[in-house]
Amino acid sequence: MRKLLPLGALLVACVPPFFVDSYYQNMLIMVFLLAIMAGGWNVMGGYTGYISLGHSAFLGVGAYTTGILANAWGVSPFLTAPLGGVAAGVLAALLGLVTARARGTVFIIVTFALLALLGIVAVNWSSLTNGSHGLVLAIPTWDAAYANWPFYYALLGLLALTVLMSWAIRRSRFGIGLLAIRDDEEKAAGLGINTPRHKLLAFVVSSVPIGVAGGIYGYYLSFLDPRAMFTIVASITLVLAALLGGAGTLWGPVIGALLVEPFSQWTNQQFTGPDAGAWRLVLFGGVLLLVVLFLPHGILPEIQKRLKRTPATAPVGKRLDHLPVARPSGPRTFGPALLEVTGLHKGFGGLRVLDGCSFDVKRGSITGLIGPNGSGKTTVFNLVHGLLRADSGTISRPPRLARTYQLTRLFPRLTVRENLLAGARRPEKAMELLEFIGLADYADKLADSLSYGQQKLVELAQVLMLDPDLVLLDEPAGGINPTQIEQMAGLIRQLNSSGTTFLIVEHNMPLVLSLCDEVHVLANGHRIASGTPQEIQRDPLVLDAYLGADFRELHGTNS
Amino acid sequence: MVTFLQSLVFGVLVGGVYALASSGLSLIFGVMRIVNLAHGGLMVAAAFLTYTIWNSTGLDPFLAIPLVCAALFALGCLLYQGVIRFAWRGGEASIILATLALAMIIEGVLALVWGAEPHNVTPSYVNSSFRLGPIVFPAVQAIGFVIACVLLGALYLLLNGTWLGRGVRAAAANPTGATLTGVRVERVNVVTYAIGVALTGAAGAIVSVLAPFMPDSGDRWIGIGLAIVVLGGMGSLAGGLAGALLFGIAETMTTTYVSTAWATAVPFVVIIAVLLVRPQGIFGRTTRRDVMAG
Amino acid sequence: MQRRIPELSRRTFLLGSGAVLLTACSGGTTSGGGSGPLRIGASLPLTGPVADVSKPGYQGYQAWQKKINAAGGLLGRQVEFVVLDDGFDQNTVVANYNRLISQDRVDLLLGTFSSFLNLPASTIAERHGMLYIEPSGGAAEIFERGLKRLFFAQPGTTKDVPDRFVDYITALPPGDRPRTAAYSTQNDPSADVPVQIFQQKFEALGIRTVHSTNYPADTANFDAMAATIAQAAPDLVVHGAVTADGVGMIRSFQKVGFSPKFLFQTKSPSDPLTFPDGIGKGNTEGIFTTAAWHPKAKTPGNAEFVEAYKAQFNEEPTEDAASSYTATQVLEAGVKAVGKIDQDAIAQWLHANSVPTVSGTLAWDERGVPKASMLLVQWQKGQIEVVAPSEAATTQNVVRPKPGWA
Repeated sequence: MRKLLPLGALLVACVPPFFVDSYYQNMLIMVFLLAIMAGGWNVMGGYTGYISLGHSAFLGVGAYTTGILANAWGVSPFLTAPLGGVAAGVLAALLGLVTARARGTVFIIVTFALLALLGIVAVNWSSLTNGSHGLVLAIPTWDAAYANWPFYYALLGLLALTVLMSWAIRRSRFGIGLLAIRDDEEKAAGLGINTPRHKLLAFVVSSVPIGVAGGIYGYYLSFLDPRAMFTIVASITLVLAALLGGAGTLWGPVIGALLVEPFSQWTNQQFTGPDAGAWRLVLFGGVLLLVVLFLPHGILPEIQKRLKRTPATAPVGKRLDHLPVARPSGPRTFGPALLEVTGLHKGFGGLRVLDGCSFDVKRGSITGLIGPNGSGKTTVFNLVHGLLRADSGTISRPPRLARTYQLTRLFPRLTVRENLLAGARRPEKAMELLEFIGLADYADKLADSLSYGQQKLVELAQVLMLDPDLVLLDEPAGGINPTQIEQMAGLIRQLNSSGTTFLIVEHNMPLVLSLCDEVHVLANGHRIASGTPQEIQRDPLVLDAYLGADFRELHGTNS
Repeated sequence: MVTFLQSLVFGVLVGGVYALASSGLSLIFGVMRIVNLAHGGLMVAAAFLTYTIWNSTGLDPFLAIPLVCAALFALGCLLYQGVIRFAWRGGEASIILATLALAMIIEGVLALVWGAEPHNVTPSYVNSSFRLGPIVFPAVQAIGFVIACVLLGALYLLLNGTWLGRGVRAAAANPTGATLTGVRVERVNVVTYAIGVALTGAAGAIVSVLAPFMPDSGDRWIGIGLAIVVLGGMGSLAGGLAGALLFGIAETMTTTYVSTAWATAVPFVVIIAVLLVRPQGIFGRTTRRDVMAG
Repeated sequence: MQRRIPELSRRTFLLGSGAVLLTACSGGTTSGGGSGPLRIGASLPLTGPVADVSKPGYQGYQAWQKKINAAGGLLGRQVEFVVLDDGFDQNTVVANYNRLISQDRVDLLLGTFSSFLNLPASTIAERHGMLYIEPSGGAAEIFERGLKRLFFAQPGTTKDVPDRFVDYITALPPGDRPRTAAYSTQNDPSADVPVQIFQQKFEALGIRTVHSTNYPADTANFDAMAATIAQAAPDLVVHGAVTADGVGMIRSFQKVGFSPKFLFQTKSPSDPLTFPDGIGKGNTEGIFTTAAWHPKAKTPGNAEFVEAYKAQFNEEPTEDAASSYTATQVLEAGVKAVGKIDQDAIAQWLHANSVPTVSGTLAWDERGVPKASMLLVQWQKGQIEVVAPSEAATTQNVVRPKPGWA
């Protein structure tokens, strides 16, 4: 049924030219155009979270490419419109390289500036574009009775393709990657998503339909003027349409276009006389403001929220009776060092955080890294994971390395399953892993809706999807209840027994002592002791330098 | 050589006004990380206000600056309380679109109140100038430059010698930390935004004397303002001053030596080039937070 | 505010033959019965960058409306205007003309301002077989498209702007002609076309070009440009201005203390209100421009138009107001001659006849290009005076050289 709905909508959309006059035909043509632009933009602005104010440039480039080639070759602009899409794609690739390092506000400003600059180029490069005089295209020759039909169906078809493309992207690994970038770009990169390539591809993909639409639209007007083709107004309107309908949703841009364009034309006709335009500006600006202030997520997500009653609090997942409760007894033997850190130095400004830190993690072990606050544990993690660069020292790390974060960093607006798929090497493993952590029933819930403890488990599963040789766990027991700590410990043991090596930073001493095969102690930026938990517990240096009275007390009650 | 010196003088004089014109934008971004796209519209609103004061009372437009500033300060408070503080919650896309919407509303209101035809503020000395050798110093440009410098100096003193200044600097450096140390960030924000708007108003009053203006004249100031703020290092007052002078000179030099056709491209080339060379360096902390606000 | 004309009932049962229906809906070249008010539709850029000139343009339409209705209307029907704002936006202008034709079902159309808007708008009118008389927007491109029902309601296009001034300079004794010239123009078809022709013709006359620039539409600071021109010290400056840039450039000339012997500017000086306001009343003396119309021109009905306009709007009519008024006069003449609303018949009549208007007697070639001549006007003692052609001149005196700035 759900699948028939879009098809039905498409069929219904095919009917109007038979019944409505050219005013409504024109209105629908402009709705389709706006929906294509908003839908294209949505891939970049909605899915990937990069707000572009420059997307109307692709309309202009598509229109000019189409028009110039059609005039040069003496063919119908309908034939050259696809090349308009190609030109828009090429331009987007170039702009994508240019904006590769820009994020957030910087990206918004750069795209705004690029649009303005391209408009100036279009005016000044008059040998190609005929500059401010505008480029005249042939007037359509077919019967006036059908004058708008080809434009209508061409844009409707293109809109259908745009929605289809958007749907396919949203369902693909690529699409999950884009949403992951939107939610947390650094984490996405940490999961092995090639973020620069994803963003570049998203930018290109979002531009191509707009370029083709530009060609068709240019032919429809049969006159191209740089002022109209590179106007910021078109960009603002398409962003408004996407936001109003719901950025990041499949149908939001279409719904937004269906509302914005008729509204724009309606206001245009409600006000006449010399002050009409001024009133329109006030009204249009007012509506934009209201949408931004009171409907920031758009209509569609708002409706979905109203319709869906999410359970108040999710219960803990299934009981995990299959997990071992204690470390396998008896002596364990480990392979050679999997991770070897030698003489690390790292400072921030004047502050020396690491000062000749060295240690290793043996293959097959669960190794703990402990130390007082500020001893450099997190910095070590960031260096080992590659987020930071050491000032000096060497790190020899295994090829496949994954980490969790002290505060979980799941992608809040992806489902649990999508969170696992985001960086996966073997997607088919996702359900198996969710079964393993007891959260298979939650596969299609938004990560946001899970309890904190569940999120910690999901994050563990997420990194396991990478088939890592070594997993870095940053406070796996932080902020979760004792039952969940038990579960977490069980999972780690289970995984370790099947070959995964762990390096754990943790403040929960009982957990460290019960879990780890070997413990390294950091203080003042370097290692002060290493050994089995038993040895560490007895090491006076450690007790003095770090553990202090609390631990001795703990030690006394525990043993 | 004369041509070069003349261009340099024009560039510096217009750069001073540019510095004042972008100081509000810079201040607001520095403290709140808000790109205030209503900036151009507010500037033209101030120009129209200056026109009315000058036209109805005969008061010299430069002497009207305190009045205009006071009015724009009040307007700034109003806009902050009514719009900005709500839009702010939605992240940077919200705030940019909200200020853009404000710009549209302001343009519409200006056209309703004053009409769409070009307005001129022309005190008796408007087109006079004095000369140093062969170099021309247009009187209004020179006066505008001096007033801009005085106001920027006053802003410097304000930021470095008062509670507000300490609050502003604390909030700019670290909003969370500022809250913890007892700075009332919300109050700092209102006052900062209002001062930013008032400075923009002062610039609008000066600009009203320099060139004819219409309700949509604000558009070009968005590009210019952004370019200068970006060039100077977002939020840095001294950087903004240097950036504005550099920008004013670049613009006049482009007009004189490259091509007038490309002069309006200068702000956008500057924005793109600077942000590409060192986006992080100039915007400071725009790494992860920015991605989150989609 | 808008009247809605019910048409759904007619549509619903013609499901299978939509094409036929569409022809009926949109192609009507003889729409409008004989009863009720006669509706004339137009779009104007009442906001945006040329809002200042389109407001008087709107008032020109209203002035004619008042006059014709007082005289009993057109074809015995009261005239009603449907004027929509396009905000200088192409999409909107296209929507507006589609709306005027197929929703408001207006009987007749008038064009909008600026070639930028008239180009796409005239295409819509052509598609629906509607007559399209445009008050403004004389760029060459619009006349090269083979439109059969398009008429330009000014005595000349942008290409004709230079003629009179070039004639005037040519007629001067060689020793009195300017020896050097500077050309500066906004990058806009209404300005750069005439300036280019000026340059060609003056160079052919032996006037040396010492400076030539083309600047973008949103330029506001002319100081550096004016200084460069002042350095070149030309005898003649030809400036292709569009709106506020005319005032801006002259103010910058004043600042850098440069006053050429001859100053010709397009468009800007013909505004009797904002031009002297902007550059100072005493500084207008001796500045030339080309006008399509003049308040004192002894053209048919001009004096009455000026009087009535002043009485109605309490301000002087501008050239743009006159252009709109001219367009309505052309429409009126065609409709009266044909005696009914028949778009093709009116177009044919206009192609075959000439029409007396406040902008002179107009006749058109097959492209809709007018075959009349424009006026060379000069500011003298705070007034705009016609100095050529001699039959239209309001003064025999020509100020030469232009005095320095006051």
